Amino acid sequence: MQRRSLLQRVLALLVLAVGGSLPFGLSRFLAPARAADPTHLRPPGALSDARAFTAACIGCGLCAEVCPPRCIEFYTRSGGGEVNTPYIDPRLSACILCGKCMEACPTDALEVIPRQEIDMGVAKIDRDTCYPWLDRGVCGACVTVCPVGGKAINFEFANIYRPIVRAACVGCGLCVEICPHPALAIHVRPRTASV
Amino acid sequence: MRHLNKLRLATLAIIFAMLVLLPFLSIYQSYRAAYAYDLLAPAEQQFYDVMEWLSEPFTDDPAADLDMLKGTTWSANIFGLKLSDPLAVVGQMAAGGRVYAPFLLSALIPIILSVLLGRFFCGWICPATGLYELNSALSRWLRALGLRSPARHFDLRFKYGVLAVGLLLSMVTGSIFFALIYPPAIIGRELYYAIALGGFGAGAVFFVLTLLFDLLVARRGFCRYLCPGGALYSLLGRYRLLRIARKVEQCNDCTKCDVVCEFGLQPMRDGFGQECNNCTACMAVCPTDALAFRFAVTDLPAQGAGHLGRTHLRHGASPAEGED
Repeated sequence: MQRRSLLQRVLALLVLAVGGSLPFGLSRFLAPARAADPTHLRPPGALSDARAFTAACIGCGLCAEVCPPRCIEFYTRSGGGEVNTPYIDPRLSACILCGKCMEACPTDALEVIPRQEIDMGVAKIDRDTCYPWLDRGVCGACVTVCPVGGKAINFEFANIYRPIVRAACVGCGLCVEICPHPALAIHVRPRTASV
Repeated sequence: MRHLNKLRLATLAIIFAMLVLLPFLSIYQSYRAAYAYDLLAPAEQQFYDVMEWLSEPFTDDPAADLDMLKGTTWSANIFGLKLSDPLAVVGQMAAGGRVYAPFLLSALIPIILSVLLGRFFCGWICPATGLYELNSALSRWLRALGLRSPARHFDLRFKYGVLAVGLLLSMVTGSIFFALIYPPAIIGRELYYAIALGGFGAGAVFFVLTLLFDLLVARRGFCRYLCPGGALYSLLGRYRLLRIARKVEQCNDCTKCDVVCEFGLQPMRDGFGQECNNCTACMAVCPTDALAFRFAVTDLPAQGAGHLGRTHLRHGASPAEGED
């Protein structure tokens, strides 16, 4: 008798576990995992550890709602565990470093940090594409638009048009947004990445 | 008291309308901040004018002032007061394995209100509730047309299992799973996606599936049996102070309250329990005003047949209490 009731209890727990995970499984099925896109940046102030960021972000969308240039987007139909987390695609619209999203975030996924400590990535210039680097004209759009200034990007010594990325770059991506080259001669990559 | 249900429906409608309006206002704000009126297409200019007309009475500087009202029921910023859903906090604690105090504080007011008022969020605030009740109405109309939906019943405690499994999954995978399946979070988010980002996400599909589940399997089935937020609120409100109670002297056993209760509880048999969300629908239909609020931490024990009912008048009425 006792063994039977124990069996029943175990069975009920099993049904509960399987049944309880069904809605979660279904939602996961609707938003399948995707390969990470290196062109996507997290909003400023995001926790540097990707796993910690996913664990902290509740997907409320407040960061995007307060964003003046409306550059923050979300993984809506894919992303696996990262679904509904925010990203910025600087090719479409870049961060202006206003810091509103950091203040709006109810969790610590986006921390309020001073502007110079923001680390969304670092800009890399493709010298085989950039017009001035190929001596195909004059430009300087990226240097002009940079909100951080000469410490983040300026011109190579003795050449007033070839841009060089400096140490203070925070990776906001405004230079990517403004780059006139159809193939984009500048892009933002995580600081640790090789290219 | 019987008009409280109308007040509740009005509250639900206002909250839903706000969830639709806020993304539009957010777009308007960004136009405003960029001084973009002259650059907009004619249709966008019309939109701008409408939003200006809507917000003008309330603010002189929309680009800045409209920041005071942001968010959804999942997490909101209302005039500087940050409010979050307790489920979001619990989910984040499970996923990250730590407590972030400011976020916990933002859920404090909802938690305290839930402890006092029980599952009131489900009945009075949740933006999905209105849609689910419309869905129930649809099922009633379909029944009038002869399409009877199989109203299955499951164990009400199943949702606590969903809550536990969700916590476990969040802990294992390190992402907050509740955000994916919790209808109020889905509604707020998907409205924003649809309006400001131009397209529904996966959550909208999931929500439609829950509507179908309610329509085809069990009435209000998701809220009753599956919703992890409902489970959390039920647990918080287990010893709530505000309860609906039946005045047995006025009850005539008509069962209208049992029929109208979306959560399948039985007000006529004093079966409220922790699942009751104080929605007052039963109070609104009661023909004899036998249901009223009562301040107590426990429900009344089963009181038997109502004194105006046939059973009581025939069998149970002793001369002493029958005269009332």
